[in-house]
Amino acid sequence: MIAKPSPSTTTTANRLPAADPTPKRPLYEASTQFRNWRFSPEQLSNLRLTLNEAAVAVIRNTLENEKPGSSLDVSFLSAEEEHLLVKLYVTKIAQLCSLFRFPEEVEATAVTYLKRFYLKNTVMDWHPKNVMLTALFLATKTTNNPISLETYTTHIPKTAPSDVLDLEFLVAQSLGFEFAVWHSHRALWGMTLDMQTLPECPADTRPIYELALNHVRSSRLTDAELIYTPSQIALAALSLATPELASQWSASKTPSGPSPSGQSVEMLPGVTEAIKTLITTAGHPPQVEAVREVDRRLKLCKNPEKIVGSHAYLAKKAEEERVAEAKRNKKASEAQQAMADGDPFGTELPKVPMGLVDYEDEDED
Amino acid sequence: MSAIREVKYLRELQHKNVIELLDVFSSKKNLNLVLEFLDSDLEMIIKDRSLVFLPADIKSWMAMTFRGLEFCHRNFILHRDLKPNNLLVAADGHLKIADFGLARDFADPGYKMTCQVITRWYRPPELLFGSRYYGSSVDIWSVGTIFAELMLRIPYLPGESDMDQLKTIFRALGTPTEEEWPGHTKLPDYIPVGQFPKTPLRDLFTAASADTLNLLAKCLIYEPRKRITAKEALFHPYFTALPYPTHPSKLPKCTTHLSARALEEVDGNVEMNSTGPGVKANNSRLKRKLSSPDDGTSKTRSIARRLDFTKQGPPQSP
Repeated sequence: MIAKPSPSTTTTANRLPAADPTPKRPLYEASTQFRNWRFSPEQLSNLRLTLNEAAVAVIRNTLENEKPGSSLDVSFLSAEEEHLLVKLYVTKIAQLCSLFRFPEEVEATAVTYLKRFYLKNTVMDWHPKNVMLTALFLATKTTNNPISLETYTTHIPKTAPSDVLDLEFLVAQSLGFEFAVWHSHRALWGMTLDMQTLPECPADTRPIYELALNHVRSSRLTDAELIYTPSQIALAALSLATPELASQWSASKTPSGPSPSGQSVEMLPGVTEAIKTLITTAGHPPQVEAVREVDRRLKLCKNPEKIVGSHAYLAKKAEEERVAEAKRNKKASEAQQAMADGDPFGTELPKVPMGLVDYEDEDED
Repeated sequence: MSAIREVKYLRELQHKNVIELLDVFSSKKNLNLVLEFLDSDLEMIIKDRSLVFLPADIKSWMAMTFRGLEFCHRNFILHRDLKPNNLLVAADGHLKIADFGLARDFADPGYKMTCQVITRWYRPPELLFGSRYYGSSVDIWSVGTIFAELMLRIPYLPGESDMDQLKTIFRALGTPTEEEWPGHTKLPDYIPVGQFPKTPLRDLFTAASADTLNLLAKCLIYEPRKRITAKEALFHPYFTALPYPTHPSKLPKCTTHLSARALEEVDGNVEMNSTGPGVKANNSRLKRKLSSPDDGTSKTRSIARRLDFTKQGPPQSP
């Protein structure tokens, strides 16, 4: 059968592929990164401050419960000090990645995971060392570069498989199971390829790329990725490497004449400059001595409920066990009640051992 | 590994023809995915002999499949396991692509991928010949075979082994020539499987329109680079020609799914206080049935999945 051209056919032809009624927007804006992991600098510092204050309050309370007056002479970490410690462990990720020869994507993803984790948690609850190891291991899996846990832990000194596995769920959960990350090094690679269409572009772009990539790597030590888009960071890195070419490239991409996105185009130079400043001022590893001091004090102000074997830890576990037990009993009695009432869904139950019905118990070891 | 992939991609993809991941939560060592609930899948509908498919019905399913797939490809995601069993159908008739356990991002040029993907009957010849570099065209071949299956009501290319699969393909579509598919004899696992003549699609698909056969043929082009893309397919005259696609709510619906699911709930581990269907998968169900597409258990689809973080998946190609 041959289609007869008719007015209705043409309208359908125009409508069919564009089945999505919402106006077109960049793919990036549909990502979880755009939706859930973008902050203003103020939001970031407020968030960290709130987390820090909440953690201090909880720990103070726990210490007081154990021994009244004991929290008075504890010097808790400030939000800035926590952040400094996390930054140190960002540099450790880079070291481990070069040891394992992991691709750039693994390194960048792990760094993002670590930073995002500490927007939901504090270092006083979870020390960044093991969180960092877990974030990196998780990143190898989510970026499709798997490595066996044994190989992973045997190559890292003083690390047992449990150090990685125990936190894996916590980390995944803190990330909201949003594993996909848009990276600025990818954007930079695209720009470097695209730049070759410029008449001013040198024949060999590799030195430019390498130089700019180093700036992208420095940007990982900053909050840039939590504030700006990957392409903005990439452009800033390119601009640090080769200011002329970067501005020529961005000019070649700017639509001439007024456009609906005109405003964002006007804002771009300002954004680029802001990122450049951020990279040059904050994009270097922290002073080891200062961090060591923070780490020393962390030993004294860690949340005792998270230290295995401590008084508060055992008390917390006992409390959790009590709640779980109560919940199990409640479920069991509810199920029995349902059967006694002749509930239509209760009749099948006797075939199933009661323990199995309890969702939470299934994997108890 | 497969659950991690599934979570990673479904968290990002939001489209009315892609299954929606409503929530993820963990209890102890399980990872539970809460997925949108869908009554049936295309395999059940195809096998339901009491249903009659009109050409407009097939067009509607194909349009929804291509829309969902175009969205995946636009997001640089290869599905790599398309088959009727993974095209789920909602109660309101909307088709949604599901099961992203084998999905991955497009690789950079020159980056090797595994060729051990896609259920055999739906696997394109370049993967059977061991090609480690491929793109979205592998999914298009699968859609082509599904298209044919919708018309025939039986699997179009049911090979019994990987070797037999190639023979089955060539028997149906003719052995490719060097001109048709340049360089295919240089692929890593190339083996000659005999010369089969080309028979026109019309001989088998006697009732199909010219547009239908034209789109089908373009999905089943041997040279992957010439195969139609999902976006091009959506602009194909087939979709704008009469008859227009059936409205999803008026599509044939499966009648047998209710009993199948009730059985699974007795076997499974039911969460008492959940509002949705909280059936947990056994570990054995998580394994892809790459080698036996006609496995009897494929009927009972598990709704929730669990992920064991302590176990490593099969080694993926670097």
